[in-house]
Amino acid sequence: MPRITLDHISKSYGPGPAAVRDVSLHVAAGDFMCLLGPSGCGKTTILRLLAGLEHLTTGALHVGDRVVDSPKAGVFIPPERRRLGLVFQSYALWPHMNVAGNVAFGLQVQRIPKAEIATRVARVMDTLGIAQYADRYPSQLSGGQQQRVALARMLAVNPEVLLLDEPLSNLDATLRLEMRSELRRIHQEFGTTIVFVTHDQWEAMTLASTIAVMKDGALQQTGTPDDIYARPVNSFVARFIGNPPINMIDAASPLGQRLAGQDARHAAIVGIRPEAVTLTQSGLPARVLSIMPTGGSWLIDLALDADRLLLSTQTRPNLHIGQTVGCAIAPQDIHLFDVHGTRLPQPALQGSTFPPRIAMRQTQKDLL
Amino acid sequence: MQTAFSSRIASAKIRRSLAMGWHDPTTLIGVLLLVTFLLLILAPVIAILTDMFFVQLGDARRVGAETGAFTLYYLDRILLSPMAEFLFWVPLRETLINAALSMIIAMVLGSGLAWLLYRTDMWGRAWFSTALIVPYMLPSWTFALAWTTVFKNRTIGGQPGWAEAAGLSPPDWLAYGQLPIIVIMTLTYIPMVLLLVGNGLRRIDAQLEDCARILGANPATVARRVVIPLLRPALLSAAVLIFADAIGEFAVPYVLGLPVQYEVLSTSLYRAISSRQTGAAAVFAGAIMLIGIMSICLDLYLMREARRFVTIGGKGAMDRTRRLGRWRMAATGVAGGFFVLGVVLPLGVLFLSTITHMPGRLNIENFTLDYWIGRDLGTIALRNGVLFTPELWEAAWNSLSIVGLASLASGVLGLLVGYVVSRTSWPLLGAALRQLAFMPYMVPGIAFAAAYLSLFAVARGPIPPLYGTIWILMLALIADQMPFASRSGIAAMAQLGRDPEEAARVAGAGWWKRMFRIIGPIQRTALVIGILMPFVAGIKGVSLFIILATPSTDVLTTYSLRLIDYNYTQAANAVVLIIALIAWGGTVLVQKLTRTGLGDGLGG
Repeated sequence: MPRITLDHISKSYGPGPAAVRDVSLHVAAGDFMCLLGPSGCGKTTILRLLAGLEHLTTGALHVGDRVVDSPKAGVFIPPERRRLGLVFQSYALWPHMNVAGNVAFGLQVQRIPKAEIATRVARVMDTLGIAQYADRYPSQLSGGQQQRVALARMLAVNPEVLLLDEPLSNLDATLRLEMRSELRRIHQEFGTTIVFVTHDQWEAMTLASTIAVMKDGALQQTGTPDDIYARPVNSFVARFIGNPPINMIDAASPLGQRLAGQDARHAAIVGIRPEAVTLTQSGLPARVLSIMPTGGSWLIDLALDADRLLLSTQTRPNLHIGQTVGCAIAPQDIHLFDVHGTRLPQPALQGSTFPPRIAMRQTQKDLL
Repeated sequence: MQTAFSSRIASAKIRRSLAMGWHDPTTLIGVLLLVTFLLLILAPVIAILTDMFFVQLGDARRVGAETGAFTLYYLDRILLSPMAEFLFWVPLRETLINAALSMIIAMVLGSGLAWLLYRTDMWGRAWFSTALIVPYMLPSWTFALAWTTVFKNRTIGGQPGWAEAAGLSPPDWLAYGQLPIIVIMTLTYIPMVLLLVGNGLRRIDAQLEDCARILGANPATVARRVVIPLLRPALLSAAVLIFADAIGEFAVPYVLGLPVQYEVLSTSLYRAISSRQTGAAAVFAGAIMLIGIMSICLDLYLMREARRFVTIGGKGAMDRTRRLGRWRMAATGVAGGFFVLGVVLPLGVLFLSTITHMPGRLNIENFTLDYWIGRDLGTIALRNGVLFTPELWEAAWNSLSIVGLASLASGVLGLLVGYVVSRTSWPLLGAALRQLAFMPYMVPGIAFAAAYLSLFAVARGPIPPLYGTIWILMLALIADQMPFASRSGIAAMAQLGRDPEEAARVAGAGWWKRMFRIIGPIQRTALVIGILMPFVAGIKGVSLFIILATPSTDVLTTYSLRLIDYNYTQAANAVVLIIALIAWGGTVLVQKLTRTGLGDGLGG
């Protein structure tokens, strides 16, 4: 399994801001890596650069021990010789070939004997559960089936790396769930290194072993889903990851000042995840503005003087609108960001020798 | 009791549907359109097809039956008699050979050019993509005239061609007949291939090609296994459309074939009509129609097949252009060569011929503007330059007014067809209108003109004989342009949907108000295009006019053809240049308005 290295890569189309700006990234062998970011952040461009459908402007791309693209070294390996698989968002199935023809194409161009092609095509179609559609044309298939054919077409050639562009975005909710576990299974079964692109943070969190968050062509943060969720390096990542979204409170507001503590001078924004807010008998007094059931969990909109706080809880709240409650926030759940949006050390832990648990209690007492 | 009750229900029903019809006259308009099309399109076609089975006026003695009696004489004479070989089968063979050869050569060259234009890094691609379309904007016989201007030899009288003047004696096979006809038809069809195939090339989702490359296919394999199979419907459709068009081509074989008695079906039909052999003309027209209908049915079948291949243009923005390397110069040269051959040379030759006394001599005394603006030239007829000849201005006025009015009418009718087709709750009515309006497309212009002549030359019921009036030209033009006009109307109305009109209706607007305040303004551009496209086609068209126009309804095209017959080469060429200028201007206007260019209007 090759390891993929993006070495300070940039891509620009003519004048204007570059689509990809100085991105360095390592994808470990066998990794399930996700490039996550809002649309237009350059994540698909990176995928196309990896596939060889675009040329680097600067930097170098390594797959395994080969350099596949490096303007400096004068190397460019065309897509047909990179031994990668790429599944397009729109699937791009060839409408003039039936399912078996689509899947067999990659093996045919490698001039593999017919008998072997037949067995390999049959095997991969079996694995993906599309064997019964072998003679159909793409237009006769549903979205989910087309998706499987697109995957099968790439898996048939046994690529070292599989690139997926928004693999689930064109599917409905049920199919999405199904394909999600399917992709995980394929990853385990084929042991392929997978790089996939999505703008859906939930998709990224549930699928990936590593997530790279991008914004405006630049890499923001790389890490495990838990890591990125728990320690976002800046306010953009904090906002982008998490549903319901993180509460962003102005550090200058009364609530912000209390939460930021002595770091209020540096902090511009205080971020609190909705599920980090707990209801207590005492705590910060807050008024209930609305209660929104989301099926299995509840979102509660709280007003603390002029500030608003969204709370998410798994237990049915026994509250009514207008009621005053107390709420508390553990100090390790307080994210501080400076005026540039960069993460600051967490307030209560800074310079503190207390174990977090005690620190929390102390702050809680503080807040009461 | 029971019946009184049910009749009351029935009358209530009728009153209700009358009220509904009054406020929403879609069905009423649909029925009116249907009647109009039955009269303007179906009736002439049926008239000429029946003509071949009945003894025509003046043929009674020859046929040996009374005028109007049923006979197989015409079919027998044209298709089976000892004369048939010469009358029908040779022209048929030549028609098919010309159509097939020019279609094949145009397809090969045009596809190659399309590839150069849209998939390589050849120089000046943007410029060429417009420049190479110019021949499409010119009347096809512009090229025929340019050809004779250069290659005309001693076989026929009048001014000799440039080659002859230079001391070379071009043989007949080079000067007239099959070779130049095929060369010129090929030249005029290349832009059509370029438009249709280029459109197809651009419409293919780039990701389909990317995908094949990722799977290890080299560019040649991608072309062979992905691009060409996906283009196949577009290629076949282009081939069929060109073939059908070539079958009905009249002006080019007329100009280049006549001097050596080279006949194709369309010229045979013209000859039959001008020698008043109505029955024979009907057989020729029927044959041309049959080939046209068969080709278009084939095309419709192919398009249905093609629907399976509908691809959505993805965002895949991979640079698909092939680096030509050292071939770049050569490729640009090839495209440039086509431009010179298809535009510069013919127009240049025609223009030069109009400003020279004697052909091909380039000394100063030989140049003159007399043929344009001279006075009292001492010739037998045409004593002034064309611009000072009243006939030209009459013909120009006739052209503009007849074609203009007809185009206006067909544009409005086309939009109405679109309105009814997209709104009616009677699927049969919509389908019938759509099919009828499309029908003239299958009937080559010359056959259609013959059909009109057959139907409207004499009084039919309340309709007086129309031959010799501008009405027959107008009606024929309107009917002939309905396929394009109705297509653009249907497309425009289908895109619009019902919502804007229904919103106006709920707001209290009646039908006329909706038409003039909502539909009209929204469809303004569609309407203008639906008028301009037929206008351009009508201005440069020959086949309808040559049969239906009389000296009193002379138009520019017939005027120039008459000048050719009288051997006023310079004047004829000058008139052709004027026509070309009008057609070119109109096309440029259409392109400016649609922005997308001609390709869409063509392929449909």
